[in-house]
Amino acid sequence: MDTLFRLFSPQSSRDLSRNSSSSRSSEPRQIHHQHSFLHHNSFARQREVEFYREECGTEHHLYMDEDFSSSSSSKHFQNPHQPPSTTTTTTTTTPTPTPIFDPADLSLPQDLNLDFASPSSSSVGASGAGRRWSSQLLIECARAVAARDSHRVQQLMWMLNELSSPYGDTEQKLAACFLQGFFARLTSSGPRTLRTLSAASDRNCSFESTRRTALRFQEVSPWSSFGHVAANGAILEAFLDPSSASQRLHILDLSNTFCTQWPTLLEALATRSADDTPHLSITTVVWSASPSTAVQAVMREIGQRMEKFARLMGVPFRFNVVHHAGDLSDLDLDTLDLREGGSSALAVNCINALHGVSPADHRRETLIAAIRRLQPRIVTVVEEEADLEGGGGGGEEEGEAFFKVFKESLRFFSAYFESLEESFPRTSNERLALEREAGRSLVDLVACPAAESAERRDTAAGWSRRMRSAGFAPAAFSEDVADDVRALLRRYKEGWTMRAAAEESEDASAGIFLEWKEQPVVWASAWKP
Amino acid sequence: MGGEAISSTNPPPAKKKRSLPGTPDPEAEVIALSPKTLLATNRFLCEICGKGFQRDQNLQLHRRGHNLPWKLRQRTSKEPRKRVYVCPEKSCVHHHPSRALGDLTGIKKHFCRKHGEKKWKCDKCSKRYAVQSDCKAHSKTCGTREYRCDCGTVFSRRDSFITHRAFCDALAEESARVAASNMSRLTSIRNDNFNFTSDLIRSNIAHDFSGAISNTTMTEGEMIGHARRELSLWMGGGDHTENLSKRNDLFTEDLYGNPFTSQYPNQLSSIYSDEQTCIALPRSGMKETESPHPLLLSVPSRYSTQHHHQHQQMAMVPDVSATALLQKAALIGVNASCATPLSSFETNNSSLLDMNLSSLATLSGNTMDNSTLTNPLTAVYSTRHLMIQKDDERGGETRDFLGVDAPIICASSWNGWV
Repeated sequence: MDTLFRLFSPQSSRDLSRNSSSSRSSEPRQIHHQHSFLHHNSFARQREVEFYREECGTEHHLYMDEDFSSSSSSKHFQNPHQPPSTTTTTTTTTPTPTPIFDPADLSLPQDLNLDFASPSSSSVGASGAGRRWSSQLLIECARAVAARDSHRVQQLMWMLNELSSPYGDTEQKLAACFLQGFFARLTSSGPRTLRTLSAASDRNCSFESTRRTALRFQEVSPWSSFGHVAANGAILEAFLDPSSASQRLHILDLSNTFCTQWPTLLEALATRSADDTPHLSITTVVWSASPSTAVQAVMREIGQRMEKFARLMGVPFRFNVVHHAGDLSDLDLDTLDLREGGSSALAVNCINALHGVSPADHRRETLIAAIRRLQPRIVTVVEEEADLEGGGGGGEEEGEAFFKVFKESLRFFSAYFESLEESFPRTSNERLALEREAGRSLVDLVACPAAESAERRDTAAGWSRRMRSAGFAPAAFSEDVADDVRALLRRYKEGWTMRAAAEESEDASAGIFLEWKEQPVVWASAWKP
Repeated sequence: MGGEAISSTNPPPAKKKRSLPGTPDPEAEVIALSPKTLLATNRFLCEICGKGFQRDQNLQLHRRGHNLPWKLRQRTSKEPRKRVYVCPEKSCVHHHPSRALGDLTGIKKHFCRKHGEKKWKCDKCSKRYAVQSDCKAHSKTCGTREYRCDCGTVFSRRDSFITHRAFCDALAEESARVAASNMSRLTSIRNDNFNFTSDLIRSNIAHDFSGAISNTTMTEGEMIGHARRELSLWMGGGDHTENLSKRNDLFTEDLYGNPFTSQYPNQLSSIYSDEQTCIALPRSGMKETESPHPLLLSVPSRYSTQHHHQHQQMAMVPDVSATALLQKAALIGVNASCATPLSSFETNNSSLLDMNLSSLATLSGNTMDNSTLTNPLTAVYSTRHLMIQKDDERGGETRDFLGVDAPIICASSWNGWV
């Protein structure tokens, strides 16, 4: 902990050292040597440990290590919400054990009125305390960062560090992820952290793990299958439209869901037109900041299985994978042989692809225009609904812009984490993997400049505007598809709803939203030239 | 052209044999009803009070209540000509009188299904139907199906099943075992349940008999391919439960499994195995020669070589015992008798079974007298079913013919499959 504050300002560390008792001196050793996580024994945890050990610099050990400050407040699974200071909170939880540091000496701001006994809490159990403490803390911290108030930033980060955990409940996880982002930002190590995190996840990436995570996610949550069902429905209707039916179909697949969308489409193709199943080719483009052999191996395996499955279904099939390193807008779509000599009908499927393109230099518009030039029969766009584009400017956002982006990220990822929490069972490796991935996204959002970011989502209205200006017109989902989606949502737990995008004005967005507890989170739409 | 049909008719004519749809009696009167009429629900109107009824019988019951004098009670006695109905939709194949449908209910349902708006929806999945009875029938089975993958995982949702199947390890393994040529024959698979359960069986079979049946895997693949297509027609579009504990699937499993397993020669499944070969027959003449092979393989070893031999040279039967002959007669008998069930493919499972059994009974009756070795194949088949027939009746006597421990293994085999 000393190291953390030393980086920020020497003054406060002097304060700290003044306050620390004798046992504090053992902390540094504790920090650096104590890596064992005592609470879980699962293999995932073991890997977690190694992962963190690998990817973190010494600074990161501070809040990754659960047993840190074991004698102070957060024994995470027992009293997760005990703030170190009782002077500024209205907590009703059990009294805190005497903290090693006396945070009162840090002169925590009096205005931090964290309501831990929020009556709006609907979740019961160990986290009986108020629900939104982490949001409040994080917002305050972001405000402080935007205002460049380093003293306050330190205080808040200290608190967050105490309370957060990647293995706790939603609030703790959010706190942990954002804290990681803050840290990277304040140490100006955003891109580097991101690279390390990505490399670490790459090392653990395999066909097995990818498949397991993706399939399990689709089983318990409609987050990704919503877009798949809507897109497949629109694509099928466009392809099988009797007025322009074609025997050769080609799909350009720009997605990050590892082709889990296609088996149901193949099956639908096989069963719908039993005797004259058209030939289907799928060209999947996988993009990443840096080339990754693990992903290539995974896609190879996926390709083989898809081909076998298509054979089983009786659908003439061809599968291509294109690995693209860098920004998608740099990909030359004309080299992909999408027309196969001119006879095939083309559909372009963009699942979470557009937000991966940098918002700077009109790259997004470039990509959409390139897609338009292909003259596809239909383009399906599925994106996550969040206004994270920021200024679209070059450098890292400062001040107000940052705060705005931060608030939006918080809102979006809170919904995401909450839905994950409620969809998956208590202990789930797949959920951990997804959360880790979200953590990486957050580091990107909080600590990396927008121009290089691959996480700058935009709203449905924003994308619709772009699509329209590129020459696309929205193609509404048919009633059948809407019914399919509704039936899909019925198969999942409570909390998910579907809403059609409002079409009040000409500029309004098209498509449908998936909503989690009345909040739109995923947007699916279809466009025709 | 589009007039209101006269609602009063004589009591329905004697039940006629159902001919192929869309090929009407040339002497019949062609009625073209307007879409409005077809969609109307209360066709039968009481002439006295104007009340509408959906069924003629209901109307008659109602009319009784009016206490009509005898004269008026009689319906118009003119003998109606046989009526056939055309579809008002111009683009439809049934619009032309030569493809008219003979049944009023039929034309109504057809119109609704093909050209109507799908108003009825299953609330569990999202399937839509234009005819309410279709929807009801579907709702009964919807959601009760369980999808089981080769790897053993069970799914209640079709979409997660399919996605899982596409990436399942079992898929990869199975392709490695079965020759690629087999896979290429499995085209236009309509019924996924048979698809996947047969994969289950095929993989099991291949696993068990990979060495022994290397040359029969070809036939197996073809048979399964053809049989599956036929079976899908037979099962009428696939809203049958897929749960492996249900009888239907049990039959189909044995259907595929039986020819290749000498361990499970239970009688009932052998009927279906014969059926399978029958079904396969019309599709390719090749089947006739090939199909007896697996069946004969399923016969215990002491007969197998003999039968094999005999199959090759049917003319030479001198050294064969009477039992062997009878058996062959049974096998072939089913072959021949299977031609008839084809026409009634639309009927359901049990009726097919009944028909088969009845045809077998007649056949076994025939061959009881004398083994008609003019068509040796016939002899073989019919005897086989003679055994089954007798078995059904008396139980126990003829079991030896089919296999040493046939009944016991039957029981366990079903458990084994389930």
